[in-house]
Amino acid sequence: MNRRKFFSTGAVSVSGIALGVHMTGFTSKEKPVEENDLMKEVMKYRKIDSHAHVYFTADSPETQIGFADRLGIDKLVISRPMAPGSKGIPEEFIACNDLIIKSMAKYPDRFIGQPTVNPAFPKEAMEEIKRCMDHGMTGLKLYNHVKISDPLFYPIIEKYIDMKMIILMHMGIGKSRVIFDAREPENVSTPDDFVIAAERYPEAMFQLAHLAGGGDWLDACKAVRPYPNVFVDVSGSNNEADIIPFAMEYVGEDRIFFGCDNSFFQGVGHVMAADLTDTQRKKIFFDNYNNVLKKSGNHVDRQ
Amino acid sequence: MWIDSNAYIGHWPFRQVRNSTCKDLVERMDANGISASVLTNFNGIFYKDTQAANRETYDEIKTNRKWKDRLIPFAVINPVYSGWKEDLKESTSKLGMKGVRIFPKYHRYSLDHPACIELVKRTRDFGLPIGLTLRMVDSRPSSWLDISNEWRLSDIMPIVQAVPDAKFMVLNVSGSTQLEKDDLELVKKTDLFLDTSGRNIIDLGELLKTFGKDKFGFGTHSPILDYKTGALRIASLREDEADAKTREDLQSGNIKRFLGL
Repeated sequence: MNRRKFFSTGAVSVSGIALGVHMTGFTSKEKPVEENDLMKEVMKYRKIDSHAHVYFTADSPETQIGFADRLGIDKLVISRPMAPGSKGIPEEFIACNDLIIKSMAKYPDRFIGQPTVNPAFPKEAMEEIKRCMDHGMTGLKLYNHVKISDPLFYPIIEKYIDMKMIILMHMGIGKSRVIFDAREPENVSTPDDFVIAAERYPEAMFQLAHLAGGGDWLDACKAVRPYPNVFVDVSGSNNEADIIPFAMEYVGEDRIFFGCDNSFFQGVGHVMAADLTDTQRKKIFFDNYNNVLKKSGNHVDRQ
Repeated sequence: MWIDSNAYIGHWPFRQVRNSTCKDLVERMDANGISASVLTNFNGIFYKDTQAANRETYDEIKTNRKWKDRLIPFAVINPVYSGWKEDLKESTSKLGMKGVRIFPKYHRYSLDHPACIELVKRTRDFGLPIGLTLRMVDSRPSSWLDISNEWRLSDIMPIVQAVPDAKFMVLNVSGSTQLEKDDLELVKKTDLFLDTSGRNIIDLGELLKTFGKDKFGFGTHSPILDYKTGALRIASLREDEADAKTREDLQSGNIKRFLGL
């Protein structure tokens, strides 16, 4: 069919919209755009979700496993932080960690469990860390009850240095608006708090949570740039296209972890979208976090 | 075939946003197998006189004769600024605009403002769609100079109720998709299209059942959001969630029908 017949069939709308023959699939001098198989590309990469959660809901953890299966995520590092604004008492963090233990038992090949504690209860926190390690957990997940730079955390950070494990800490949401998001309590950690902790403990490993999670990612990357012991995960619902390129420039390809924080499409999508080499993508999706796990002998595919 | 229903060019003033020219867009389209893109100029959000942005869009597309076959420009119109009716006429008759985008939160009017309703009616009479964006950027880490509130889907119902026979595009569905029963019934009957770029397109399979298979289509919201996530929501659908026809409709069929392509 040629262009004249195309017009005569009434295929043109009343507003006169008409696209070139290229769009209509007719014979065109233009080479047709080649479609690529996105899912084939996605499934090519092994993935460790370095920032995942399970919930006290009837559909969890099966909902999370469902998304992981859909998008080819091999392992999820799960935690259940205490609710923001809660008292943070030992009964709370023990109950949260019990959920992780239960989830790990249900899906031992998919979940890597991370405990959570409140250093305001130093004796109970240390006991709980031991209990969770005895259950095969690794690392530590912290939220916004106490800043990472608070001296209350010093004994815990020192313990984690000895264990060669990483500490994942929530980063406050909304700094770019000068004031924090209303949901954040005053003890939420800012990138500056990570800097204080990282300077004091250069042997420790810190994971700055969710660059795509609603915090000022530009500010965060710039703050932690000089500290090789601070890693960033790119999890979160705010899949702004420039996050990973900026993190690559400021933090570097060896310090970035893939993660979803329950926003699975965004987590996978923006790593796939970023202008990366195959090696860089593999590092972000899997190798970087696995190298951290290797330090404590908890890496994936260990014998 | 894939058609991106939600892309931008222009300058985003609050931080560096890369890949924001027509040349950048077409290169990404080629690299990712995207046949065409609906595009809007950021500058239309921030210029007091939005028509300058619409003319810039026209001029930029004109610099490469191949682009007019693949780029589908929408005009930004501000119905509470003088001369908007002439701007609409020029945009549709001379500048090749295939639809209209409005930004009430940035331009500071409500959806039920009489001028907004009149704009929607005039656009309807031209046979063109009106595009509404629930979110331009995530307000949480946004600049202190930017607006701080976003829309949920229910917030656009006043204009849908006012002009139910218009064609509406709802872009970057980041807020709740929950609607009252009557509003959901109205949306199902309205010629309304939602793109897949937004964070609240979590379970697309269920949304197709709730709203209808003809209501959704591929969109990226690039270059603000990444270029793959909107496609991933479609590409990862299972056979029991979307058969081949539904998948093709999500990729391009629905937007083609909606825009009359």
